[in-house]
Amino acid sequence: MRLSFTIALRALTRNRAHTLINILGLALGLTACLLILLYLRYERSYDSWLPDSDRIYQVQATWHEPGQPITHAQTSPFPVRDTLAGGFPQIESLSVMRNGQTVTTRDGEAIFIDSAIVDPAFFDIFRLPFVHGSAAGALSDTNAIALTEKEAIRHFGTSDVMGRTMSLGAGPGKRDYRIGGVLRDLPKNSSLRFGILFRYDPAEAAGLPASAIGWGNMSQQHYLKLRPGADAHAINAALPAWEKRVVAPQMIGGRAASQADIMDLALVPITGVHLGVAQHGALTPGGDPRALATFVVVALLTLAMAVMNFVNLSTARATQRAREVALRKVLGASRPRIVVQLIGESLMLAALATLLALAAVELLTPWLGGRIGADLEVTYPGIGGLLLPAILLFVASGLLGGLYPALYLSRFRPAQVLRANKSAAETPGNGRLRTILVVVQFAIAIGLIVCTCVIYSQTRHVATVDPGYRRDGLIQIESAWRFAGDSSEYEAARRELLAIPGVVAAGRTNLGLAATNKNILAVRTSGAAQDSAIGYYAVDAEYLRTIDVPLLAGRQLGDRYARDRVVRAEADGAVLQQGAGGFNVVLNRNAVTLLGLGAPQAAIGKTIKVGLDGEDMADATIVGVVEDTRIRTARDALEPIIYGYDPDRTSLVLVRYGGADPAAVMAGINRVWRRFEPEIPFQGHFVEALVAEIYAADRARGALFAAFAAIAVLIACLGLFGLAAFTAERRTKEIGIRKVLGARIRDIVRLLTWQFSKPVVLANLVAWPAAWWAMRDWLNDFDVRVALTPGPFVLAGALALAIAVGTVAGHAIRVARLNPILALRYE
Amino acid sequence: MLSMRELSRVYRTDTIETSALSSISLDIADGEFVAIMGPSGCGKSTLLNIIGMLDSPSSGSYVFNGQEVAGLSEGKLADVRKHNIGFIFQSFNLVDELSVRENIELALLYHDVASTERRRRVDEVMDKVGIAHRAKHRPSQLSGGQQQRVAVARALVGSPKLILADEPTGNLDTHHGEEVMRMLQQLNREGSTIVMVTHSPSHADYAGRVINMLDGQILIEQRRAA
Ligand SMILES: Nc1ncnc2c1ncn2[C@@H]1O[C@H](COP(=O)(O)OP(=O)(O)OP(=O)(O)O)[C@@H](O)[C@H]1O
Ligand SMILES: [Mg+2]
Repeated sequence: MRLSFTIALRALTRNRAHTLINILGLALGLTACLLILLYLRYERSYDSWLPDSDRIYQVQATWHEPGQPITHAQTSPFPVRDTLAGGFPQIESLSVMRNGQTVTTRDGEAIFIDSAIVDPAFFDIFRLPFVHGSAAGALSDTNAIALTEKEAIRHFGTSDVMGRTMSLGAGPGKRDYRIGGVLRDLPKNSSLRFGILFRYDPAEAAGLPASAIGWGNMSQQHYLKLRPGADAHAINAALPAWEKRVVAPQMIGGRAASQADIMDLALVPITGVHLGVAQHGALTPGGDPRALATFVVVALLTLAMAVMNFVNLSTARATQRAREVALRKVLGASRPRIVVQLIGESLMLAALATLLALAAVELLTPWLGGRIGADLEVTYPGIGGLLLPAILLFVASGLLGGLYPALYLSRFRPAQVLRANKSAAETPGNGRLRTILVVVQFAIAIGLIVCTCVIYSQTRHVATVDPGYRRDGLIQIESAWRFAGDSSEYEAARRELLAIPGVVAAGRTNLGLAATNKNILAVRTSGAAQDSAIGYYAVDAEYLRTIDVPLLAGRQLGDRYARDRVVRAEADGAVLQQGAGGFNVVLNRNAVTLLGLGAPQAAIGKTIKVGLDGEDMADATIVGVVEDTRIRTARDALEPIIYGYDPDRTSLVLVRYGGADPAAVMAGINRVWRRFEPEIPFQGHFVEALVAEIYAADRARGALFAAFAAIAVLIACLGLFGLAAFTAERRTKEIGIRKVLGARIRDIVRLLTWQFSKPVVLANLVAWPAAWWAMRDWLNDFDVRVALTPGPFVLAGALALAIAVGTVAGHAIRVARLNPILALRYE
Repeated sequence: MLSMRELSRVYRTDTIETSALSSISLDIADGEFVAIMGPSGCGKSTLLNIIGMLDSPSSGSYVFNGQEVAGLSEGKLADVRKHNIGFIFQSFNLVDELSVRENIELALLYHDVASTERRRRVDEVMDKVGIAHRAKHRPSQLSGGQQQRVAVARALVGSPKLILADEPTGNLDTHHGEEVMRMLQQLNREGSTIVMVTHSPSHADYAGRVINMLDGQILIEQRRAA
């Protein structure tokens, strides 16, 4: 046994370059695999740390309105809180959660705090640990609040703040609250997010309009805990029938409609929320299971490439070791012993690579965690640790990498190998296998390069494609529901905004650029059997001009026409003015097409019926048509839009500036804001930055892809380098002969380079269709997308070829320059 | 055909200097058959390599076909070599991965010869050395004598004026050795100039001139009337 070990060690040190390449390649592959494993586990660990996480569910709603894309939401209708538990006795407790932001003043400055309004049952469902106080008394009345430790320390400098008061809210809603409990901070792998918890007050519903307490109000989440042993599938199966029973049909414009027909409720386990399809209304950015799966596949491919190197280099080397093995056979070693010996060598290499990989993982984990904003942690023991997978990967790669060469080597017949005058025990089949492995490796590398190129050009494309409005020189002020919503106050503010040097226009809207929420109206045209669902944007007269949307026909809305403005009755904020002939609207091109109104010009003057605020249908006359805009992501289809002059419903202000320092303009807007709205923090963003943020995840994914492509190329090159070194060595005699026969250096270099270029050329044929298919699939996700041109494919192929030639050329030139007599002198 | 004056070849390593050839002067005329003999390490192969332009002299002059070749570039040497010289080695030096036919064809690959013409000439030399029936075999599937015949065919196929053979019979038994010698003799009769290194006096008898070397110098030359 000790002798075997010595032989193994000697065999490995004898071929130092070969050994190094094997270990480095494998270590790279293993590192990629283990890092992705850490990330995968992290993504899957969301909320599983919660006590009883297997009994906690979120009520999710799926909306499928005709003419609108399906929305999968983590939020659910307002009445769920009071009705669901009554229908299903399996529910142990249920709590509403209305998420938002509250305002407080700290050091003379208004700041936002993430807040949530919950029922006391929230603490029965989520048994969150308290630093001070307890679940029982934390939200004893609506004046009590619970704080996270971080928020307490930020505000008071200490977490020991039980019983102290905090002034929260703005304007008439501003109140003093008593702190009833301090919670431990939530870990990062949580789908919940809040800094402050308020207690929900059911009495508030009494004063609200019908639309705010109906099934159409989706601005809250519901969580529940099932009794032990209860079956969520059974509840989900029963929910459609329950909805039909509980959701009362409404009469909209003489037609009966029930939200139960366009909405499906479902209980989703809390541990499935983060990676679930429903991400609308998510509190923390959701994971992307498809991207995750892609990266797992890519990591495994990388490892496979490393193992292929292993097989490839070992079998290549087999020819050199054939004599040793043959001799040992002659000396009486049995075949199994030789196989064991060779696999032992392979395992030794794999062990070294695994150790290297673990060290790399330790070093890279904090960096990776920082990049993706995750609390990644390297632990070793147990099911969740790295030790087990590391050992598994080590054994698997060691065996896989060693088995084929071992069987191959031990099969040599000694007589054949030891026969004089034979330099290589090379069989053609073996050479073919190696070529195939190189082809597969480069196919993977080329495929990844193609994907990287396409992802890169697509992310560039979506950022630069014409969105239908002008992005540069535009600032969006968010959280401006008070600032913008009160038109009499706003006029004064607007005058001051326009007085800022450089500012040329300011307009208001309720759905800003990069918006994620929607406001859908039922729209009826005469003759259409079914109502259409079209997005409604409440704007002011300046908005479309401010963001610079071209007018295609008709005119903009404005104060010159009394019927332009949507007027709601004072008493009940939801009832629409129903004067003779209703009100005027502007449509975008897409809405005109969807409603079948013909050309933009033809639509002017036509009247449609719209169900504003979910109420009865009112007449709306089209006075203008504007160009389509993409205010959401490039993944979303072009929206049909109805613009209403409805300034009291706006909550964002857009400011256009030009010929001035952007920072100075922003500072000027900030000053105006503070004068008019001192209690609410200023939230101004450059629109270009907002749009860039939408695609941050895509860019990060692209970067990760590029990293993998680089690793794959590196591994492929390591393999090719080793193979070239080996081949050059093996072929020195042949090359010597060729030189004696008149070949020049450049003939030899060309010969060797072509030998290694062929598999790379072949790899393109494998990689291109696969990459094309994968990228077409990915691009189909986008409404705006680049064409799949041959560019990236040719580029990737050329790049791989250049890298391969570069890798091999060194060896080729060295061998070609060798004096042939040296090569031919000894056999 | 060739003429050497005061030609030396010194091998320098870090520690020692070996003088493999010292001040050799030698003329070989067209159509000669020269055998070089001498003890191991006396510089026979070195001399043959320099004649074949696989190696360059450290000093002295070497005129081949009226052209001074000492100091020519690698590329130039390769050019002169492939048009004028054929090699036969003791250890055959065939390429294991190529068939007999391909091995022979290799010698024409770096000449500007059209492929049909290549085929014709390969067929011709294979017939000449009697290996045509083994055209598709690998060298490893042939006996030593057959392998050396392939090597001879390869040396011939480019129709060189000069054939250099370094112990062509060294790895062969007596019977096969004689066979190769008769082949060389035949070639010489057909007009080829042949320079051969050998340890066997009986094989040296085939040559018209025998050069005996010792310690990098020519000891004696014997000429025999043909
Ligand atoms: N590349 C080299 N580096 C150093 N010394 C060399 C080299 N090649 C040959 N020699 C030395 O030059 C001398 C002549 O070598 P050469 O090969 O010409 O001998 P040889 O007469 O052909 O011998 P043999 O009959 O054994 O083939 C020897 O002493 C040898 O050690
Ligand atoms: Mg010799």
